[in-house]
Amino acid sequence: MIIMKSTPVESKSHGPVEHGRFGMSEPTVEKLKLYKKKVTQTWRVYRKNWMGMLGLGILTFFLAMAVFAPQIVWMLSVIGGWDHAYDPFEQVSTTRLVTPPSPEHWLGTDIRGYDILTRVIYGSRVSLEIGLVATIVSMGLGTAVGLLSGFWAGWRDEVMMRITDVFLVLPWLVLMIVFAAVLPGGASVGKVVFVIGITGWSSTARIVRAQVFSLKERAFIERARAIGAGDYYIVRKHIFPNVFPLVFANSILTVALSILSESTLSYIGLGPMANQVVTWGNMLQDADDGKAILNGLYLWILVPGMCIVFLVLAFTFIGYAMDEIYNPKLRKR
Amino acid sequence: MRNLRTVLTRKIFNSLITIFLVLILNFFLFRVMPGNPLQFIVPQNPEIPDEFKDKIIEKYGLDEPLHIQFFTYMSRTLQFDFGDSFIYSGTPAMDYVMSKMVYTLILTGTSSIFMVVIGMLIGIISAWKRGSLFDTGSLSFSLFFYAMPTFWFALMLIVVFSTGLKWLPSDSALTYGEQLELTWSCFVDLLRHLILPVISLTVGSIAAFSIIMRGSLIDVMTEEYITTARAKGLSEGRVLKDHAVPNAMLPMVALIAIDLAFVVGGAFQTEVVFNYPGIGYATIEATLKQDYPILQAAFFLIAVVVIAANLVADLLMVYLDPRVKME
Repeated sequence: MIIMKSTPVESKSHGPVEHGRFGMSEPTVEKLKLYKKKVTQTWRVYRKNWMGMLGLGILTFFLAMAVFAPQIVWMLSVIGGWDHAYDPFEQVSTTRLVTPPSPEHWLGTDIRGYDILTRVIYGSRVSLEIGLVATIVSMGLGTAVGLLSGFWAGWRDEVMMRITDVFLVLPWLVLMIVFAAVLPGGASVGKVVFVIGITGWSSTARIVRAQVFSLKERAFIERARAIGAGDYYIVRKHIFPNVFPLVFANSILTVALSILSESTLSYIGLGPMANQVVTWGNMLQDADDGKAILNGLYLWILVPGMCIVFLVLAFTFIGYAMDEIYNPKLRKR
Repeated sequence: MRNLRTVLTRKIFNSLITIFLVLILNFFLFRVMPGNPLQFIVPQNPEIPDEFKDKIIEKYGLDEPLHIQFFTYMSRTLQFDFGDSFIYSGTPAMDYVMSKMVYTLILTGTSSIFMVVIGMLIGIISAWKRGSLFDTGSLSFSLFFYAMPTFWFALMLIVVFSTGLKWLPSDSALTYGEQLELTWSCFVDLLRHLILPVISLTVGSIAAFSIIMRGSLIDVMTEEYITTARAKGLSEGRVLKDHAVPNAMLPMVALIAIDLAFVVGGAFQTEVVFNYPGIGYATIEATLKQDYPILQAAFFLIAVVVIAANLVADLLMVYLDPRVKME
């Protein structure tokens, strides 16, 4: 979102990545060493940022939850003395579907008789998956448009920027709803990823374009051109490596936004079906359908919601820390 | 001054192009999608007699080739005609959407004011007391709410203030059965229904404003004219009030315009949770009930309003910041 995309044009600090003399690549080993050194340097600065470290901690927690979901549920079933480890799509409560929290079902059961705690744990998988894949889609699209637009300049840039404007100006949720409504086929994870990706690329395109414009004027590009490097070679070897850190720092915030978008789409009923895919968003929709507030089943709303908040917060904190590192203008003076 | 005119013309021209592209998008999304494009314009309900469907097909020229359809569509759009609603039969889609717009404007307008004012105040204090407990505290606090889905925050507000404490209503914009009138009791009723939706919409966006204001003010404080002001012997408060803050506010104007798209997105969620009869509620209802004329009209209207607001902010920037004119 708008929040931390602070003046990318002026972040000229991270020096150009130059690939040896005359624009030729160094041997790979040398490159790897340089890369390793850069990562270590970044980590040294990052480590001192409490927000970044806290975000990383929370993210690790949810990653573990996603990877070891079956094992965690099994462990809980042993601790809680349930008769078996539940499956997220297993109707565990038959006589009454919706039940309040009990020793067998710590958070109760939902409108389909599923165990809510089990679903919360498995829900981390789809949230992370949609967040990451949708981000790759929108960052890829945005970087491609930004690179080409900035490099071509002229009328092609003009055309692409006007199209970018449309996606930049229109409210994201409105675009998403319209896309989700007219695209053929039912709601699925793939469709949600596509909708989030296609509506989220425009600000990346703008940032990348601005960065390309400022890079283009620099001496090392001119040098490469003077010795006969072609347009696409320059974009690939000189411009992209210099734009990449910025794109990377931004993409972390985009993950946060994508996760928020998924939960919103699912909540208003345009996400994947709850009996096919578990997401925290469609759990909240179920809670709404099950009149959780009226019946006082607050945990049903509280726990999936808090999961969304903390996962999004983790990415926001990490993104904020990265922004402070790559945008030295923001560093404390 | 010639420069100024060029800048203005260019900005207005760009906005018009953006609106034109939205029109094209609206046309293609609803007519060229795979499947049966007719379903978006002609109701598919089997109870509706065929002759009625044929009438609509003829009215919008849906049996004509695509480029002719496009011209029919454009001329109808310029007359704000998106057809009649499928579910509220006989109501023109545009009229329906317009009637909902009032409530959305009340909601987004009120919370925009609050988020700008509160965000700016927090930003100013944070920049002034940089590195203090207030600075870190307000940053993490506002980021926490920023990370919260608007709809979920709204649900939490209902849990606490409506069903829990029973202080405020959680449903609709007015008490059931009341009409929007210019009376004191109606105004109070409207306000009571507005409080929770406005809070849910405002709190999450404060971070965006406070962080930018803080950054901008820190930047300005290193400028030479601030040193000059201090050298003149002005108190720190005066320096802040008369010299730093007015200059630091420039990025905020641009931000308000950019943020509008997000406020509208948030308003959609708030309206759904509170059953608030605004354009967002209408759009989502239309989407779920496949009432495509309403969806098209809403999409068009929101696009035009948001683009116009962006243009106003752009022009305001030109007026406020002399440097833009020099470009």
